[in-house]
Amino acid sequence: MLYLQLLINGIQTGAMYALIAAGFSLIFGMTRVFHAAHGATFTLAGFVFYECYSLLQWGLLPALLAAAIASGLFGVLLNRWVYVVIQRHEGSFFTVFAASFGAAIVVENLVAIVFGKGLVTVSSDWSRSVEMIPGLFVAPMALVAVVVAVVCFAVLHYVFTHTNLGVALRALGENPTLVDVYGLNQKTLAKYAFLIGSVLVVPAAVLTAMTSGISASMGHHIMMISIAATIVGGVGSLRGAAMAGLLFGLAENLCLAFVQPQWSEAVTFVILFLFIVFRPGGFYGRAIVS
Amino acid sequence: MKKLLRALAISQMLVAAPALAEDIKIGAAFPMSGANAEYGEIFSSGVNLAVDHVNADKRLNGKLEVVYEDSQALPTQGVIAANKLINVEKSPYILSAFTGVSKAIAPLGQRNQVVMINGGGVGPDLAQLGPYFWNVIPLVNLEVATMVPFLVKDKGLKRVALVYVDDPLGQSAREVLDKELKAAGGELVKSFSIPATAQQFSGVAAQIRDAKPDAVYIASYGNQQVQLAKQLRDNGVTQPLASYSAFSIPSLLKLPEAQGSYFTSQQVNLDSSDPRTQRMVSDYRAKYGKDPSMYAINYYNAVLLLADLAEALQKEGKPVTGANLLEKRKNTPTFDFVGAKVSFEDDGTVKAPVQINQIADGTTKLVKSGQ
Repeated sequence: MLYLQLLINGIQTGAMYALIAAGFSLIFGMTRVFHAAHGATFTLAGFVFYECYSLLQWGLLPALLAAAIASGLFGVLLNRWVYVVIQRHEGSFFTVFAASFGAAIVVENLVAIVFGKGLVTVSSDWSRSVEMIPGLFVAPMALVAVVVAVVCFAVLHYVFTHTNLGVALRALGENPTLVDVYGLNQKTLAKYAFLIGSVLVVPAAVLTAMTSGISASMGHHIMMISIAATIVGGVGSLRGAAMAGLLFGLAENLCLAFVQPQWSEAVTFVILFLFIVFRPGGFYGRAIVS
Repeated sequence: MKKLLRALAISQMLVAAPALAEDIKIGAAFPMSGANAEYGEIFSSGVNLAVDHVNADKRLNGKLEVVYEDSQALPTQGVIAANKLINVEKSPYILSAFTGVSKAIAPLGQRNQVVMINGGGVGPDLAQLGPYFWNVIPLVNLEVATMVPFLVKDKGLKRVALVYVDDPLGQSAREVLDKELKAAGGELVKSFSIPATAQQFSGVAAQIRDAKPDAVYIASYGNQQVQLAKQLRDNGVTQPLASYSAFSIPSLLKLPEAQGSYFTSQQVNLDSSDPRTQRMVSDYRAKYGKDPSMYAINYYNAVLLLADLAEALQKEGKPVTGANLLEKRKNTPTFDFVGAKVSFEDDGTVKAPVQINQIADGTTKLVKSGQ
């Protein structure tokens, strides 16, 4: 029964990791901007939801909408007023990274000033497990996490395969010069990539606030998951990021049957290391020839 | 040009507060960012109030000042902070917190004859870090030794599972808990070590349910212990939770899932009639709008202890150095602390009674007084 329990826990954790990683993978894959402030977007979305849902009691949908607006605006404005400005002056990849990292620290401190430095949680009966069969506990939130992840990835798959915007975004990731040749605007497309990628953290942030709580300083942890899942999944592959997130969640939980919990995070990095050595392109990544 | 320079020099003299030779800068290596920053806020609230009181009373020849450095509750950052406080700020007295950080910076105190004083870390090893390392908080061995008989004998909870963070504090807590449970007729049924950065505990909860303990002891701190309490409850762990003084932070007291949990802390009587306690409690309430926590009181005491020692040294015409502070402390039998008159053990640790508390209605209630 313990294995089944760990398997279910792993699927829930994996669904969350997949949602966390998808936004970063999308932005990095399409724009090649190492958006280190993606963790800050997550923190911002979580705290806006907490403020609107728990403190102001606006209800679920308005609070979700407010979190989506806040995270989308943050991503788009950061791109417009920081990344684009640096790129216009021929700032290197690392200059943009440093600026993004700085923005993440600013957001972390602002959130700490406004909401405090402690952990806050959004109380919900859905996060409480019920005993399905003797010894097997499942929270309704686990089902919600899986359904939300499936719906999000299905919608993204549709957008990227059946809409002009999605095809253009994929083209931006594949060959930006060709995008110009076809008369499309790279900056406009990058704006959409930031908008979609930033809004994509909202479900994960809300689920995290309800299941384990959020704090101003959790952005770094989110970035670690995002980077690892993007590498293992393959840069630019949403399907890969989803698979990698699920793999990490399952590995972190199933390994508990054999080793102490202190090694569960190490398992993630062993997987990452093995991929870097044996399959550097990740699950679905393109081979990169230097 | 000369006129301009002269004008600048004069304006500088007028604007800048004159630094007197007798001014004392104390250092504080606290977590001001990261997952344990909530503690830094609590610690500094007690320090700031104490500095205000010392300066308002003009107890020292110069002004007392505190310089904060961010340790992030990490040993590496703690060493960087302590080096800066010793070598740049020339602090003779540094406030420390967290077991790992304190153990990392203690050798710097010994080498440079700078007093390091801890009011937040509780690892038992902190009593053995040399003459320049002092503790104004009872250590976790005392806390566990108080909690175990309460669980085993008073509550009949003999089988205890432990979740501990894999650092010096957690490892010490595991050793002491195992020893005390055996001595009290209980049993440590299973222990789970977790990394300090872990945030997902549904798998740990499944294993705890599998072990079927009577109670679960948590030896972690900061945001992680809040996540642990929530996720254990959410994932079907219904047994009573027990912990040590780190459970007294506001985010945990407010957590619905933590209600009913037991935790130990040093005994503090906020209603004590002695003037130092009355002044600290009333001014703290006025300044921060709440009761002072045990940590705020500890660091208030740590600063007042410095003021007591420095005042005595200055009256004798001696400089306020780490060596002189140590000598003065050894020659002083008792000190007035908030809530009690205390004395230091030979190992530099204050001994204080430890009480059992329970989290109820977002605050704490006393379950058993300390002895």
